Amino acid sequence: MPVLPKRLSGFTVIPIAYPSSSHFIYARAHTPPKSKTSKSKNVLPEGRTLFLVNVPPDATERELTLLFKDCGTVERVLFDFNSADAPEEHESDSDEEVVEAAEESDTEARPRKKRKLQTSEPAPPKMMPLPSPSLRTLRKTGSCAHLIFLDSSSLAKALSPPTSPKPWPSSEEPRGLSHYMANYDNERPPLDTIKAHADSFMECFEFNLSKSKQEAKYRKGEAVVDEDGFTLVTRGGAYGQTLGGGVGVASKKFMLTGKIGGRKKKDKKKEKDAFYAFQKAEKQRKVILDMKKNFETDKQRIEKLKESRRFKPY
Amino acid sequence: MNQVDSENTNRQGREEPLTGHELRDIKDAADLYQSGSFKLQIDALLPNVRPKESGRQQLDHFLFALRAHCISIPSIAPLSPLAAIKVLAKQGVAVPSVFPLPSPDVKWKVAFEPPREFCVVGSWGNGIAVKKQSGSRFSVDLSMEMPEALFQEKDYLDGRFFHKKSYYLAVLAQSISTAFDVDTFYSSALGDPRLTTLVLRSRNGSASYDFSKSHTEVHVIPVLSSSSPLSSSRLFPSHSNVRVPSSSSPPNFPTPIYNNTILLSTCAKEALMSTHELKNALPAFHDAYTLLRVWANQRGYGDGELCARGFERKGSFWAGLLRYLSLGDELVGTKSGSAKLRKPLGKGLSSYQLFKAALDFLAKHKFGETPVFTKTTNGHRCAPEEYITHHPAIFVDATSTINFLSDVPLTSLDLLSHDAKETLEQLSNPGASSDTFADCFLKSRFKISSRFDAVIRVNLSQASRNQSTSTVIEHGSSDAALLASISSLLRRGLGNRTQAIAILQPVTPYRPISSAESPSTSIIHIGLIYDPAHAFRLVDHGPSAEDQDSNVAKEFRYLWGSRAELRRFKDGRITESVVWEVTTSDERAHIPVSIVRHLLQLHFGLSAKYVRTLQTPFDNILQLPDDVHRLHRATGGCKAALTAFDGVVRSLKALDEQLPLALLNVSPISEYLRYTSTFAPLPIPASVSAELPESLRFLPTIPIILEFEKSSKWPDDLKAIQKIKLAFFETIAQSLMSSNPGLKASIATGGSSNPFQGYAALEIFTAEGWSFSAFIWHDREATLLDRIIDPGKMFVSPSDQKYNAREQREAKVAQELYTRRFIYAPRHHRAIVNLCHKYSAYSGTVRLVKRWLAAHWLLHTHVSEEAIEIICALPFVGGKQTSTESAAAVPHSKERGFSLVLEFLTDWDWKEPLCLTLYEDDPPATAPEMWTSNGPDAIAVHRLRAFAREASKVLRNAETELDIKSLFLHSTDDYDIVIQLNPTVLPRYHQNINAESSVWTRDAHSGITESTHRPGFDPLPIFLADLQSTYADTLKFFADPFGGDRIGAIWLPSLGAPRPFRALAGFSSKPLAKEDKAKDKDLVMLNRQAVLDEIGRLGTGLVQKIIVHEPM
Repeated sequence: MPVLPKRLSGFTVIPIAYPSSSHFIYARAHTPPKSKTSKSKNVLPEGRTLFLVNVPPDATERELTLLFKDCGTVERVLFDFNSADAPEEHESDSDEEVVEAAEESDTEARPRKKRKLQTSEPAPPKMMPLPSPSLRTLRKTGSCAHLIFLDSSSLAKALSPPTSPKPWPSSEEPRGLSHYMANYDNERPPLDTIKAHADSFMECFEFNLSKSKQEAKYRKGEAVVDEDGFTLVTRGGAYGQTLGGGVGVASKKFMLTGKIGGRKKKDKKKEKDAFYAFQKAEKQRKVILDMKKNFETDKQRIEKLKESRRFKPY
Repeated sequence: MNQVDSENTNRQGREEPLTGHELRDIKDAADLYQSGSFKLQIDALLPNVRPKESGRQQLDHFLFALRAHCISIPSIAPLSPLAAIKVLAKQGVAVPSVFPLPSPDVKWKVAFEPPREFCVVGSWGNGIAVKKQSGSRFSVDLSMEMPEALFQEKDYLDGRFFHKKSYYLAVLAQSISTAFDVDTFYSSALGDPRLTTLVLRSRNGSASYDFSKSHTEVHVIPVLSSSSPLSSSRLFPSHSNVRVPSSSSPPNFPTPIYNNTILLSTCAKEALMSTHELKNALPAFHDAYTLLRVWANQRGYGDGELCARGFERKGSFWAGLLRYLSLGDELVGTKSGSAKLRKPLGKGLSSYQLFKAALDFLAKHKFGETPVFTKTTNGHRCAPEEYITHHPAIFVDATSTINFLSDVPLTSLDLLSHDAKETLEQLSNPGASSDTFADCFLKSRFKISSRFDAVIRVNLSQASRNQSTSTVIEHGSSDAALLASISSLLRRGLGNRTQAIAILQPVTPYRPISSAESPSTSIIHIGLIYDPAHAFRLVDHGPSAEDQDSNVAKEFRYLWGSRAELRRFKDGRITESVVWEVTTSDERAHIPVSIVRHLLQLHFGLSAKYVRTLQTPFDNILQLPDDVHRLHRATGGCKAALTAFDGVVRSLKALDEQLPLALLNVSPISEYLRYTSTFAPLPIPASVSAELPESLRFLPTIPIILEFEKSSKWPDDLKAIQKIKLAFFETIAQSLMSSNPGLKASIATGGSSNPFQGYAALEIFTAEGWSFSAFIWHDREATLLDRIIDPGKMFVSPSDQKYNAREQREAKVAQELYTRRFIYAPRHHRAIVNLCHKYSAYSGTVRLVKRWLAAHWLLHTHVSEEAIEIICALPFVGGKQTSTESAAAVPHSKERGFSLVLEFLTDWDWKEPLCLTLYEDDPPATAPEMWTSNGPDAIAVHRLRAFAREASKVLRNAETELDIKSLFLHSTDDYDIVIQLNPTVLPRYHQNINAESSVWTRDAHSGITESTHRPGFDPLPIFLADLQSTYADTLKFFADPFGGDRIGAIWLPSLGAPRPFRALAGFSSKPLAKEDKAKDKDLVMLNRQAVLDEIGRLGTGLVQKIIVHEPM
């Protein structure tokens, strides 16, 4: 058996023992891109973040945590973290998966929105989440993950090449058929849960809506009048939503292009195109030339077909 | 014809206007032909089907030598016929035997004198020969006039003429075969010994007379001179010229075919002259004749494997047809209907117009009813009534002596009419997607499975040949008599159920000159083309009870045998009738074939063993095994599903009071509700489900769409809309359950991370065991999604929200689902339902094609059901909106539809758009890509075509082997990996093409069976989708969605070689040991075994084993 390299392009090769083969995870210390905002640094602290490549597609956070158990305690795992995609808004409102992943490790289920809204002054309504038991999420093969250790000393330990392949740990999330069954059942929660969820979401939604309305420049019930004294009307709802007053609705075309189409006038051609003799002659000539051109192209096509022995019927 | 030479005349300046000559040519091409390119194609075709110049000299050389030899053959003194046969037999030459054989004590004698006159006749003589089907050579008909002295006036009697002719031919054969180095054969057209000719073929490498280069064979035809002693008035159709010693037949029966056959020997030269005249008179005759022959040859009127009976060596008929069209009718008697006489065609017609006129005549003329008498110069030779009473089909030539159609069964003529009709339809409205010229002249129509609605293979070897001697004499051989009798009985029995019946048999093979009799036919194929309006009628009415003793009633009873019975019908009539009992729609589709079976059994003693079709095997493909039905204890079907759907709609509408918005519309979008699901849907009530083993438990969930009245109360935010839908569903679910006991409703949240997408569905599980999932259509979603995807589109944004790239991506996915599910799916559904109602065979075709595609692991994952439904519409609609079910080209049975779709798929150029006008309210171009955007990709289409090609081949074999199961068996050899799944946990396993009942009868295995009822649950497609999305760039997966228990996969070739390491490579890799230290690139390889281990892990509980087909 050839000796496999321990390092590859700056990555440490971590072999994983599979039933009849070895899987390879490549690990490297996470280096944040230089020109990035402070935000992504917050998410992935330098010095204790391990960058993993070729994570098994069905890996769960728990499994990765177990894999690096002997290197130190893992704070959290981010799968497929792509800073370009990360929303630029509030952190907690960001990538649901990230939050979910973070929450999965928490034993006590904390309503998500609560945390976010702690800062805002008027007490917002609580949102009841739909139940989400821990199920595996499949990712594309060969994907990567960021592993954040609690302690920066663990990083070095993790990066030293292991002496022997580690077995792939297994967490209690179901796999295969039982996963699909569990998923099926999970997707069909009891009706009252759904009702609670939908109602609470709408309460939240209304609350946020009214809050944003207060902050918005346009207020309901007030006509928005620009400098020239025009009232702005937009489409919305089933019958059109007027931000201002009870005026008619802007046409769809206007909404899309911002141009006023004007009355549809029938554009009658003023010039006759066969008035002078030369026009007629040109036209005729053009017809004949077109005819010839068509004929020639037809002919070429047939020639080509002829070459392909098409015209031998049998 | 007008050869367009614009190439040389006008090369230098393209901008130059055309010369008058060119202009006229181009205009003519467009006006006188279908189109300019059609004319060019005709011009390209013609030289390919005409004899080449090469080798003519050698041929002429041979013909001269042959003439010189034949003149010098010594005369043979008169001998008694039996003695003459013995003499020749000693020399190894048989005399073609003609029925009735001469008795030993006849007084007349046979003799030989060298032929008088030699003449190359027929199409070769006129230079209008047309190439025959592949392999056959041009035939050069060489007539040799037998001296009059050999014949007596009474030779028309008892086949004496034919015996003399046979002897003459045998002497010629003997002499020529010894003198020349050529192969000699006898050929009896239609197996009729009276039409025997001597065939001379040049032997390959023969030193003296090698004319093989001319690709011809010489047919020696002994003919009678016009001054022969046989009086032609004795040969009029009504005359009886054969006396049969037996008592079974009436002593004097007219022998019209016999008479006609004698007359055929007299007019070869005359025909040559008149065709020559015609060729001079009609400039386009030659081309039109060639086109007509090519058209006919492609359809089996000529020679080949499966010929329509009666058209062998009937070249003169086609020339006669054109002559008739150009000369017009001869007046029949004093009939006042002379106004209806056909007007002769103009002489200046183009070849295409003449060809089309011939087709038009063939399509419209009813040969069984109206006789055709070509205009003659001297009036009728015999009373036309004689023909009319004694021949079933009449087409009398311009000399008024010969009926071309005397031995052509009416069934073949019906088929000819039908084919002409079909071609005319194609020519008069060329479909956008099909190539009319190719359909007309280039494609051979010998694939009987796609040509006929039903194909019946009959083995005649055991048929009882109870035809009377007189019929055998009249038809020339017992085979011919049998086939004529089958043809007429079937035609009467099927009546207007069919548009055409084809009796197909291989062309009569040549036989060595040592054999006296033509080999007999044992296998024939009967092809039926249904008339959809009548084909599946349940009752055949006969004459009423009052005229029990009339001839009509007797004939009716004779035709149907014991099946004919007196019945009283609802309207009070009491008639003789035949009732066909059917219980299923499949059986109803079999009625015409059952009629054929019954008639063949009754009249010819052919049991089911000898009369076989592919219908039942095809039906079985679409049915579940019997014990599955027993275990399910339910009767399903599309009708039942539709009733259940109506029930759900009714109970939903009844909730009106309890819902905040009124329900406007419920639209079905499922194949189960439009008759196109491969298997009839089966309901499974919860109580039954618990008892069923897992592999029988599949219950399809039928999607439907709910549309509520418009309201301004909807929030203007996508996420909120989805939640409102949830709330809606909850209300509906609660009230449905309270108003319908036994009904269960739940909400499937769909569990998607895409916040814009309406994954949630209301699942309704009725008491009878049907499962529906309802979606709410809210049209505001489209606008909102649009705004996210393309903010620039909105002039005024109502909110100042900005969306990032990920959200836009998600919105795009959501929008695609939205348009597909809410806009296209209902429209598609309506269009398909219409098709199903309009074309009775459509749904069966779709079901078969789906089954076939599924069996080859392509359906769903690679080709969507909707795309298949559209493709299957092609043979029915053919690119034309206006086609009706009665159009000639429309298939009327699912087997034929299936075969036509296969044919289409075989040479489907998927890069060319396929345009069908299915959706009435919409330009058609926008729809199809909706259903093909997710595949098939190039690999899948390539495979698809390969399978189709293979299947067409198998299907053609199936016509003889009757094994169609192999069509649906999939070879796994070309997959790199085959993942074997555990069939006991697959709820659809019972639909597997090779389902083994042991899987669900093994009750001991119930350890895995769960008691929870999960409607619509099927792990295979979810697992497959998971695998495909996980390993999208590594492997391509295939599986049979209908109960497949294996998944096949191929490694994508792009990952075969080592490549440099990259962090975001997107595949599972293993590092390669560095061999060369100098190389600084770190190479990695695809880690195949690890991937397989992972697949095994992902499919825990499903995967039994993974078989690898290649060395790792």
